Amino acid sequence: MITGILTGFGILLFAFVWQTSLDGINRKIVGRFQKRIGPKWYQQFRDIFKALSKTGVTHGWVFDFGVMMALGGIMATVMFLPVVGYSAFPGMDNFFIFVYLLAVGMLGMAMSSVGSGNPLAGIGVMRALTQMVGYEVPFMIVILGIIFGHNTSSLSELAAIQQASGIMTWNLVKMPIGTVVAYISLLGMLGKKPFETFIAPAEIASGPMVEYGGKQLGMLMIMHEFATFIEVTLFVTLFLGGATTLFGFIAKYFVVYILASLISNALARFKIDQVIKFYYKVPITLAIVQALMVVFLGWGV
Amino acid sequence: MDFILSVPAIVVGLFAAAVLAYLLTKANKILGALITVLGSGAALAAMLMLKGDINSVQSLGALGFKLTDYGWFFSVLMLLIFFSVSFFNLYWMKKIIHPAAYNFLYLVALAGTVGAFTAKDFIGLFIFWETIVWASMFIIPFGKSRNASVVYYAFSAFGSLSMLFGILYLYSKTGSFDIQYVLEQASMNTTYALVAFITIGIAGLVKIGVFPFHLWLPKAHGNAPDTFSPILSGGLVKAGGFAAFLAVIVMPSYKVFASNALFLGRELAMPVPNYILVFLGAVSIVVGTLMAIKSEDFKKLIAYSSVANGGYIIIGIAIADSLSVGGAFMHMFAHALASAAAFLSAAAVVHRTGTTKMSELGGLIHRMPLTYLVYLIAIISMAGIPPMSGFISKWMLFQSMIGKGMVFTAAAAFFGSIGSFLYVFRPLSAVFLGQLSPKHESVKEAPFLMQVPMIGLSLLTLLFGVFPNIVLRFISDILKTAGLDGLTLNGLVISGTNGQLNPSLVSLIFGIGFFIALIIFIIHPKSRKVDLMDTYTASEFIYTPELLHYSYAFYAPFERLYENAPSTEKWYAALIKKIEEAGQLVSYTFFNNKPRIIVFWMVCAVIALLWGGSL
Repeated sequence: MITGILTGFGILLFAFVWQTSLDGINRKIVGRFQKRIGPKWYQQFRDIFKALSKTGVTHGWVFDFGVMMALGGIMATVMFLPVVGYSAFPGMDNFFIFVYLLAVGMLGMAMSSVGSGNPLAGIGVMRALTQMVGYEVPFMIVILGIIFGHNTSSLSELAAIQQASGIMTWNLVKMPIGTVVAYISLLGMLGKKPFETFIAPAEIASGPMVEYGGKQLGMLMIMHEFATFIEVTLFVTLFLGGATTLFGFIAKYFVVYILASLISNALARFKIDQVIKFYYKVPITLAIVQALMVVFLGWGV
Repeated sequence: MDFILSVPAIVVGLFAAAVLAYLLTKANKILGALITVLGSGAALAAMLMLKGDINSVQSLGALGFKLTDYGWFFSVLMLLIFFSVSFFNLYWMKKIIHPAAYNFLYLVALAGTVGAFTAKDFIGLFIFWETIVWASMFIIPFGKSRNASVVYYAFSAFGSLSMLFGILYLYSKTGSFDIQYVLEQASMNTTYALVAFITIGIAGLVKIGVFPFHLWLPKAHGNAPDTFSPILSGGLVKAGGFAAFLAVIVMPSYKVFASNALFLGRELAMPVPNYILVFLGAVSIVVGTLMAIKSEDFKKLIAYSSVANGGYIIIGIAIADSLSVGGAFMHMFAHALASAAAFLSAAAVVHRTGTTKMSELGGLIHRMPLTYLVYLIAIISMAGIPPMSGFISKWMLFQSMIGKGMVFTAAAAFFGSIGSFLYVFRPLSAVFLGQLSPKHESVKEAPFLMQVPMIGLSLLTLLFGVFPNIVLRFISDILKTAGLDGLTLNGLVISGTNGQLNPSLVSLIFGIGFFIALIIFIIHPKSRKVDLMDTYTASEFIYTPELLHYSYAFYAPFERLYENAPSTEKWYAALIKKIEEAGQLVSYTFFNNKPRIIVFWMVCAVIALLWGGSL
C-alpha cells in the first residue's frame, strides 16, 4: 500500500515535469509555425509558479474548494495510471476509474468557476459539458470493443496484451477505425481546435477560466497539465501499446500530443451545436461499426 | 418467534399508527407529524431486528406473510426513505391543505409498501400494491396539481390491472395464489411464463417509470407535495424493480425463454423477452436524460433523472446475470438514497424560498451551504462518480454490459451516464451557485431537524460508496437464493467480468489527492475576498445580480438539436383526444335526451327481448 502510494507520487511528479516541459516545447513549436521565435521550453513552469506566488481574489469558499477538488481529483486519477510498466496499484487501474475519477476533477472545476458568479463561466461550463457528451460517448463505445475483445479493462493488462508481438498487436493496427474515432475524441478532450468551443477566449473570455488569478489559476494550470497527461497517456496505452521503456513512452506521447496541437493550429473553431452534430454523425457511427466488428465478427481481437 | 416482533405486527402497527396520526393531527398538527416520524422509525428498527427471521412465514387472518431476503432488502430501503423524509413532515404541516389526511396516508402508504414486499400470496401483494397506489394518489393532489394525480392513477391502474389479470390467469391455471409456488409452476410452461412475465413485468415497468410509461414520473414527482416527491422517487418507484425482479429472476423467466435466445452462442445469448426489457430500459435512459437536460423545474429535473435511472435498473435485471442483477440492486439502493437526498434538498430550498423554478433562484450556497453539500453528494452519486455509492452500481452494470458485448445498450448507458453530468450540474449551477438574488438575501439555512435526515442520507451514500461490500454481501446472498451465482467479493475488492474495483482504495487516493491540493492551497499567498458582483463584465456596468446569473435555458444550444424530436407526451395527448371522441360518440348514441333516439333503442331492446334466445 505504502509503496503503491509512493509509486503514485513518482508518477505524479513525472507527469508534471514531462507534460509541463512538453507544453513549453509545444508553445515553441507553435511559435515557429507562426513565424515567431516562441518562448523558452520551460516557460510553462515559469507561468505556473508565477501564478502560484501572486495574491489573487476569491469569490467565496466554493471558489477555493472547487479548485482543490479539481486538482485533488485529477491528481488521484494520475496516481492510478500505469506508466512504462510502473503501476501504483496493479490490477486496479480499471478504465472506468479514469473516466469517472477524472469527472470529479472536472466537476470541481465547473463548480468553482460557476461559483465565481460570472455568467461567462457558466456558459463555458455549459459548453464544456455539452462537448463532453459529444466526445465521450464515441470514445467509450470504442473502448467497449477493446475491453470486450481483450476481456480485461485493466490498462496495464491491455498494454501488456498489445506488447505481445510488436506493432502488429497494437490496437492502432487491429482497430484502425476505432483509433481514428478515439483520436478525434482526444482532440475534444484536450480542447484543441476545432473543439475549443468551451474556452474560446475571443467569445466568452476563456469561459470557465474567466475569473481566475493568483494561486487558484496556478492550481488550475497544474490541473490542466495533469488532465492532458491522463488523456494522452490513455490514448498511448489503449491504442499504441503503452510502452516498456521511458524513451518509447516519451516518443509516442510526443507524437500524439504535438500532432493534436498542429491540427489545432490549422483549423478553426466549431460552434457548440456543430460539435455535437459532428460527433453524433461521423465518429459515433464509426465507433459503432468498430464495436460491432469486434463483437460480432471477432475482428481485431 | 412471537407476534410482537414480526412482519404482520409491523404492518398492523403502521396502520394503527396511521389512524393515531390522523386523530392526533386533528388535535395538534405537529404531534401528528411526530407520529409519522416515530411510526416509521419504530418500523425501521423492527425490520432491522427481523434480519435473523428471513424466510419465516406468518399469517394474519387470510393474508400470509413471508419475509424473503429480497423482500427484507426492499422493506428496509423503503422504511429508511420514509423515516428520513418524515422529519420534513414536521415543517410541512402548515403548508399542506389536509394535514391529518396527509399523515394518515403517509403511514398507510408505508404499511402498504412493507406489506407488498413481504406478502406470501399474490392476492396480498395486489391488495398492498393497490394500497400504495391509492394512498399516494390522494397525497399527490395536496401539492401543486390535481391533474398530476389523475395521470398517476391512470398509469398505475394500467399496471395494477395488468398484474391482476396475470394473477387471476395464473390462479386459474395453477389453483394457487402462493407467489413462490405459482412462479415455480409458471416457469415449467412457456405460455404461463410468458403471461406472468408480461403482466407482472408491465406492472413493474409502469411503477419504475420506464419508457413508454415514464410520463407519470415528472407529473407526479414534480407536482406532489415537496415532502412526498422523495418518497415517490426514492421509495415507491423502486417497487417496480421488485415486480421486475419477481418476473425475471424469481420466476426465473430467463431460463424459460433461454431456448429462443438472440445470437446463440458466445456471451451475447439473451432471450428475446429479456432483450425487449433491455431495449425499453435503454430508451428510457436516453429519453429521461434528454428531458432532464431540458427541464426548467428543479423537481421535474430530478424526476426525469429517475426515469433514466429506472432504465439502468431494468437493464440490470433483464440481463439476468449475477453482476448485472447485483448492479441493479445496488443501483436501486444508491439511487434511492441519492434521489431522496436530492429531493429533500429541493424541499429545503422550497421551504426557504418558496419556488422550484431554477431561473428564479441562484447563489443559495452563500445562505444554505449544508443543503448545497447534501445536493452535491447526491448528484455525485447520481452521476456515478466515486467515491459515492452510485459509482459502484454503474461500474457493475457497465462491466456486465461490456462483458456481454451489448454495443447499443451500452451506448445508451454511456450517453445517460455522461448526460447525467449535464442535468445534475444544472440545479447546482442555477440554484446554488452563481449570483444571489437580492430577494433571497435574508434566506437562512434549513432548520436543524431537516438537516438531520439530509446529513444522514449523505453519510450513508458516502459510506456505501467507500465500503460497498457491506451491502453487496447481502445482495450476493439474495442472488444465491434466487439461483444466480453470488458476486465475487474479496475483502474490499469487487471483481467483475473484466476487471477489479477497490472503492476504498479509490476513495483513499482521492482523499490523498485532495489533501495535497489543500496543502498547495494553504502554503501559497492568501487571496483577497471580493464580492460576487465584482466580476469581469467586459467593462460594462451591471448592477443587477439577476442579470449576471446564467440559469434560464442553460443547455439551449444542445436542446435545440432535439426540439423537434417525436414526443411521447404528444402521442398520449392524441390518445386522450381519441378516447374522448369515442366517449362522445357513445354518449351521443346511447345517453342523450333526444326522444327519437331513446325510442329507437327501446324498440331495439323490445325486439331483442321478443326474439329471445334465438337471437
